[in-house]
Amino acid sequence: MKTATVPALVLENVSKRFGRIQAVNQLSLEIKPGLMAGFLGPNGAGKSTTLYMIPRLVRPSAGHLRIFGVDIWQDYKQAIRSVGITVESPAFYEYLTGRQNLELAARLLDQASPRELDETLERIGLAARQHDRVQVYSTGMKQRLGIGRAMLGRPRLLILDEPTNGMDPEGTQEVLSFLRAKVRNDGLTIFISSHLMSEIEEFCDTVYVINQGHLVASGNVRELLRPHERIIRVTFQGKVPDAEFFRRHEQVRQVESLTADTLEITLDRDDSAWLNDCLHQAGFRVSAITPKQKTLKEFFLSITSLHQVETSASASAPPATMRKSPDE
Amino acid sequence: MSNQFLPLLRNEITKAARRRLPYFGIFCIGLLCLVIYLAAGRLTNTAATNAWGYLAFSMQLVFTDLGPIFIINFAAMLLAQETGTGTIRAALAAPVHRWELYAAKAAVGLLYMLVLSMAAMLFSAALAKVHYDFSAVGDAFGVVYGRGKALQEFLFGYALSWIPLVALVAFGLFISTLIRTPGTAVSVATGSLLIIDFTKNLVGLGPYIFTKDIGYPWIVLSQFAQGMDCQWQPELRNMLILSGAFTLVAFGAGLIIFVRKDLNH
Repeated sequence: MKTATVPALVLENVSKRFGRIQAVNQLSLEIKPGLMAGFLGPNGAGKSTTLYMIPRLVRPSAGHLRIFGVDIWQDYKQAIRSVGITVESPAFYEYLTGRQNLELAARLLDQASPRELDETLERIGLAARQHDRVQVYSTGMKQRLGIGRAMLGRPRLLILDEPTNGMDPEGTQEVLSFLRAKVRNDGLTIFISSHLMSEIEEFCDTVYVINQGHLVASGNVRELLRPHERIIRVTFQGKVPDAEFFRRHEQVRQVESLTADTLEITLDRDDSAWLNDCLHQAGFRVSAITPKQKTLKEFFLSITSLHQVETSASASAPPATMRKSPDE
Repeated sequence: MSNQFLPLLRNEITKAARRRLPYFGIFCIGLLCLVIYLAAGRLTNTAATNAWGYLAFSMQLVFTDLGPIFIINFAAMLLAQETGTGTIRAALAAPVHRWELYAAKAAVGLLYMLVLSMAAMLFSAALAKVHYDFSAVGDAFGVVYGRGKALQEFLFGYALSWIPLVALVAFGLFISTLIRTPGTAVSVATGSLLIIDFTKNLVGLGPYIFTKDIGYPWIVLSQFAQGMDCQWQPELRNMLILSGAFTLVAFGAGLIIFVRKDLNH
């Protein structure tokens, strides 16, 4: 008999209004344990507000939030004990050392011990600087310390709001690889908000996209980014079709010349096979025909601009949830 | 999960012990006690003064102005500092209820008040010992109170002096809850204390403002040091009611506001 897995995090129709501003609107999402989930959205989309509602820093106007099945407004301590959180630009007591800051946090956690502090400082690469005041830390070091603080007490769920801000690319890669390894080896669940699309694309299993307080897309990263069937890159051997050729075919929406022998052709439907036949029948020799690999950035921009158009066109319509780009 | 009040209080003490402002307050109190000592000969009739009288005199001067300012400054920074720097978010993103944190903040404010009060007492007593003795209290006709009785009354009066100071801590913490930046919180707390103190009698509210009782125990002890009876009542009852009510209202209102406010920025 299959045992139901308790989701690590559930947001159920969560809304938050600040005066006249609806920052989050009936947001629902569920993160399964043992996954690294990305949380994307443009500035002002409601990402931070959503994340702040989890540790009750912000009180939701409506909805429920559960961490491993425990409602945070019914038993907060029980819910939050399995969570480590770092907010954007983590703040510390600058007149204290890195170690002292961690000691303050560790004191509130049953499981954290001096040995764990040593291990944490070692893992985040601050063991050599632990006795320096945070005042002299760089931004990247403070970010590392923030992650270290979030990892005290061996949480089962990590919520990270822009954890790699201010870090150099090497540091970012190192931190995200470390977190990915924790997910893979220890079954840690991570919910990470970031502007770095390439990192989210590389490291996350699932992604949730929020815009203007609504969840506009969600799903497995690989699924969401499966290659276009509609935008096709064609490399020719010899003669390259001209604009006149493509004008005769209604299915062709746009043609862009990438190099002397490569064109990027946009069709009105997913049908690379038709294009291949059409070119072949016209006598053109195709050396390569490849559906364009979508990046998370392109997907994100397409879904957020689409949502922008839709919400301005029908302001009174009910909010969309779980939508994908029409290119999908 | 267990009550987090004690670990939080320990954190608050750790933080306060590593800041400079609390020590600056103690230093200033000590400096003021020294200035009072140096100026005492010009301010009082030294022939009528004994160590108890000097002690009451010094404490009254310290807690007329400077003492309350440092107490309220410390209390006004307790939450505003954390909100202003953003450390409040990390403090609360932990298995901690907001009321526990608020209670720990109030407790460390009270502890600082006690430390400042004790520092003033010790400095004043040490300086009093230079010229006087803490012996029996007498008047022109002889001994009125024995040394033991004098000590008992002074310790009692000293403990009573904390009552309006508790209300001051609650007021400072309340200001700290409302205002997000420490500089503004301190300015508002200190400014409002001074304005209230300056204008309360002009507008007829003097009997209803708890700050009138800050120096009261030392006035009674000054009289006691001259051989008069200690008349604590009925002012003591009024002081308890006024300061108690103010403490409850300020603490309660601050707690409710803090528990309900959004801390997203």
